[in-house]
Amino acid sequence: MSWLRMYRILVLASIRSRMQYRFNFWFSTIMSALVNAVEFLMLAVVLLRFDHIQGWTIVECGYLYAILTLSRAIYRSIASDVHHLERYLLSGDLDKLLLRPVPILLALMTQNFNLRFGELLQGGAILVLCMAELMRQGQIGWTAIAPTLLAIGGGAVLLYAIGLISATTGFWLTRTSVLQNFTEDAAKTAAQYPMSIYPGWLQGILTGVIPIAFANYLPALYILKGEASPLVLAGSWAVALALTGLGLLFWRTGVSRYHSTGS
Amino acid sequence: MIEVTHLNKTFRQLTPKNGPFQTVRMLFSRDYVYKQAVRDISFHIDAGEFVGYIGPNGAGKSTTIKMMCGILHPTSGTVRIAGESPHQSRRNVTRRLGVLFGQRTNLWWDLPVRDSFDIIAAMYSIDGAQQQSRLGELTELLELAEFMDTPVRKLSLGQRMRADIAAALLHDPEVLFLDEPTIGLDISAKRSIRGLLARLNRELGKTILLTTHDMDDIEQLCSRVIVINHGQLGFDGTTEALRQRIGLPTVIHLTYRSLVEVAELPSPLLTLVGREDNRLSVSCNREELRPMEALRLLECFGPIEDVRMEEPNFEDVIEQLY
Repeated sequence: MSWLRMYRILVLASIRSRMQYRFNFWFSTIMSALVNAVEFLMLAVVLLRFDHIQGWTIVECGYLYAILTLSRAIYRSIASDVHHLERYLLSGDLDKLLLRPVPILLALMTQNFNLRFGELLQGGAILVLCMAELMRQGQIGWTAIAPTLLAIGGGAVLLYAIGLISATTGFWLTRTSVLQNFTEDAAKTAAQYPMSIYPGWLQGILTGVIPIAFANYLPALYILKGEASPLVLAGSWAVALALTGLGLLFWRTGVSRYHSTGS
Repeated sequence: MIEVTHLNKTFRQLTPKNGPFQTVRMLFSRDYVYKQAVRDISFHIDAGEFVGYIGPNGAGKSTTIKMMCGILHPTSGTVRIAGESPHQSRRNVTRRLGVLFGQRTNLWWDLPVRDSFDIIAAMYSIDGAQQQSRLGELTELLELAEFMDTPVRKLSLGQRMRADIAAALLHDPEVLFLDEPTIGLDISAKRSIRGLLARLNRELGKTILLTTHDMDDIEQLCSRVIVINHGQLGFDGTTEALRQRIGLPTVIHLTYRSLVEVAELPSPLLTLVGREDNRLSVSCNREELRPMEALRLLECFGPIEDVRMEEPNFEDVIEQLY
């Protein structure tokens, strides 16, 4: 039984579960689209105040924001409940998933499947607008599209790896939501802006410790500004895959330490 | 079929500190104690056996079963189900297992029962025709037809339990682990489930490990009983051997026509349980002294007006083993 087929079956089950509650389904879809729109507007208001930030024009900033948003939307769409592992550890619901003839991480990824339609739409719209403007200005050409898609994919894998590692600490710490706030939400907010605005030590953290810089900033340095070599894309993917590998090993250790609950 | 060898499981538990500011102090330094939930348990279950696994709450029953399912990894020792280790080859082993934890459901909470079965059939790669026929049998046996299209969250406990049993059996596993399957069910539901389990074991040769607090389950279904207490094995043998070991103490309540003076009981095989005015309660082991003979002996105190026999309470007696 191929994993892809198993994933599809379980995701469809998850979607059907959510669709049982029709109002909630439609309302939450619309609401999340609205929330994402407002979030970007807040960013735009800040950026419009200035012509540029540390050498990054507003259109370039929009590009950074867009590819990070798309990476994150893909990651959270495909592997939503990994982030919520804490909930399963507290209630002992991981038992139920461990009884199924499915790899446990795969089973977890299919729970509460939630296609981030709003985020994908918003990220896509901003990306298209920014790239169109950059092309009009002659800064990039059609050749930028493929590397951009590559960067988005690499970013999704990288964010997944960071999310997986953060969640896995739950097997030791149980409650991880504050840690995740830091490694996922705070890092994402920081990476929405060009990293050059941050002091050196912070840039170091965002490249070496929580390597989110590889998701959008470093690829953009190459794609938009030509300030980095094309190897930076391969480097991003390498970091993403390596971190994922590390995350999977860490996950295996975590599962072996699983305590379950009393009865 | 099932081999458990020198199984151990130790949990690390926080001990609360004593003294002032204990909650705050716990934020800074922590004391741990190692609690051994399962100590050196070994047993062997052949294919086709129906084994009862009993013990008081907190004895380590659920922990043992979870290790046999691959949910928990043992601290030391091995488990082998049909030769494979559940925590190392989890997916292979779960295909041959049907597991039911009475307190939890394995079904999809928001979806109709029928949908859960479809998903399970897809997960275990059961082909359409097989699924239909097996589902048809199970529906009839467990009377699921009336709530097949009801979402699981709307089912009553009895209905949900029956649906869960069907879910555990859908992929035709050779081994069943049932953790309190009859908990909270009414008499008729218990009876029908017991009937089903007996059939599965006798006619289809399935190996069943049943955890329960209901001694009627044990008496009616199990050929063998394993008793666990404080993480250790207390008894492992046939139900007959268990009965013999604990004896069959019957309590006889007698009401005499007039006040009784009881200086001494007529036989050492009788034990005084209670005495009040013209009523006398004694207990004897039915294996050693037959009730009719006991009655004859007790007539020495005077004419007996009324007799009431209290059958052995399997539970009180099992407690002795605990």
